[in-house]
Amino acid sequence: MEQNVILSVKNLHLEFNLRGRKLHALRGIDLDVHEGEAIAIVGESGSGKSVFTKCFMGLTDNNGTITQGSIMYNGLDLAKLKGEKDWLSIRGGEIAMIMQDPMTSLNPLKTIGAQIAEAVALHQGLKGAALKEKALQYIKDVGIADPARRYNQYPHEFSGGMRQRVVIAIALACNPKILICDEPTTALDVTIQAQILQLIKDMKAKYNLTTIFITHDLGVVANIADRVAVMYAGDIIEIGTAEDIFYDARHPYTWALLSSLPQIGVKGEDLYTIQGTAPNLFQEVHGDAFAPRNPHALKMDFVKRPPYFEVSPSHKAKTWLLDPRAPKVEPPAVLEKIRSGGLIHGNK
Amino acid sequence: MLQYLAKRFGRSIISLFIIISVVFILLRQMPIEGYFPNYEKMTDLQIQNGLEALGLNDPIPVQLGRFWVDLLHGDLGESITYRQKVPVTEIIAEKIPYSVKLGSMAIVVSLLAGIPMGAMMARYKGKWFDKFGTLFIVFIQAVPAAVYYLFIQLYGTIILDIPLMFDPSNPKSWILPVISMSLGNIAYYGMWLRRYMVDETNKDYVKLATAKGLSGNKVFFKHVFRNAFVPLIQYLPTSFLNTVIGSIYIESLYSVPGMGGLLVQVIKKSDNTMVQGIVLLYATVGVIGLLLGDILMTVIDPRISLSKKEEGR
Repeated sequence: MEQNVILSVKNLHLEFNLRGRKLHALRGIDLDVHEGEAIAIVGESGSGKSVFTKCFMGLTDNNGTITQGSIMYNGLDLAKLKGEKDWLSIRGGEIAMIMQDPMTSLNPLKTIGAQIAEAVALHQGLKGAALKEKALQYIKDVGIADPARRYNQYPHEFSGGMRQRVVIAIALACNPKILICDEPTTALDVTIQAQILQLIKDMKAKYNLTTIFITHDLGVVANIADRVAVMYAGDIIEIGTAEDIFYDARHPYTWALLSSLPQIGVKGEDLYTIQGTAPNLFQEVHGDAFAPRNPHALKMDFVKRPPYFEVSPSHKAKTWLLDPRAPKVEPPAVLEKIRSGGLIHGNK
Repeated sequence: MLQYLAKRFGRSIISLFIIISVVFILLRQMPIEGYFPNYEKMTDLQIQNGLEALGLNDPIPVQLGRFWVDLLHGDLGESITYRQKVPVTEIIAEKIPYSVKLGSMAIVVSLLAGIPMGAMMARYKGKWFDKFGTLFIVFIQAVPAAVYYLFIQLYGTIILDIPLMFDPSNPKSWILPVISMSLGNIAYYGMWLRRYMVDETNKDYVKLATAKGLSGNKVFFKHVFRNAFVPLIQYLPTSFLNTVIGSIYIESLYSVPGMGGLLVQVIKKSDNTMVQGIVLLYATVGVIGLLLGDILMTVIDPRISLSKKEEGR
């Protein structure tokens, strides 16, 4: 695939000020998003994955400040944008977002047609009949039958899955280059999940989008992602192609995540769980943030934060285990099942 | 929709019927002195004859039946002590224009001031305007109305250089009663609109609208404002009524020859036919206010369907 970087994050630090206490939510993240790819950011709740992508749109809460680093997009450093006026040129038109809960992300008092048309008018400058025509086109694109009738209906007349289609239509109507999908299927039931993921894939191809998925569902990741970034405690600790992560993971946290997949457990045995809790980000983290929960932790992990070690040109991880001087630690045997089970499917 | 309206209307009539009947029966329990202006000087026979003439010796159900039949003919009876032998409807017709005019003006002023105030407070939440507005609201809510009504009357008349009492022919003398009547509603609208708007601002659809690229002002007025207005709109018709009732004190204060002062006067004089006539009017306006509020609500909020359940998703 062509490695044209569309969005480049360097050493991004974000702090929240909560009643005088500092919460270090993002701790020096580096990430290059390639044009046209589907990248997934996975991690447990509180790992900072949502907050990270909100930085791209200036949607972090008011008490959050980017203290260091840069987000380069199109020659513009998004980390330096301050006023609403600057952000308006980015939001929607360059980077659009699909939110987690379709039941609440539409305005209940406006017809879905009006809500889609609002985005079209804003970003494509259409008016009157052409505007409606275009809005109807988007409704049809996202697979909603009978667009003309649906145009004048209100959100409460749609099911959850249909509403998420409307939300996707709104995002598309903004005509963005990057589409951030913040857990787009979490609130939907399983059968609908697959449909929505397929729809996003189709729309990605049709509108040449770069998609950034945020999810904690590794099943979703396997289904859609070209590349996977694993986040833990405000940092990306391992990044690689989907194959790299699922078949050749190197970070103990990634191993632990994969081991917890229900699909690879043995019937009748308890599911694997990661012991302990994520670190308290109010305090400064020393060494590898995962070390206290890591059965394979080295002494070094508690002292010094590991840098990225490159496994292959596409694959790198932050763990001292990859240092040439480190003892050999084999990944858990259970991960072999992923390879044989063919968890990654439907990947293009 | 029509079917629902008919049902709602029917229920309103029943409510009114019950209210009026209860008031009527309660008033019949009042001492009989009230029926005669010169009770002390009358003999027992005169009193008996008087009661007979007024039909008050009949059993209460018969009296109530007669009252309803008369009412359906537009006859509320005659005043007994307030202005003897003058039909109640005639007295009310003379007085009501003042109350309605004052009340309507007060409502317009309250809306024009209260709505922008609430919206601005929510828009600049936590800034000086919000704090100032909150101070105003707390003051109006916490201080008994009588206190600032008196202050407004005392100092307002001095500032405007007008007499203390109301004079319909002097436009300046309308100002103070209208302002006094508006204050409570301004605080009410401001407080609730601010609160509803702040609630709406934190909802997901506002985040999506922002992520769409709408500017803060557009999000605020196109999305947040309208949605926050829904719960308020239901209250609007009732608040009109409240303004008319609330004017009892203000009308007495300024000697406005309106409805509010009238109710106080006729209660003092135990003029039962007058009391039941005025209560009937207030009850009717109140019930209609609620009905209109519900109808307005369905017009503005598509989620509320008053007729039977429509086809599902």
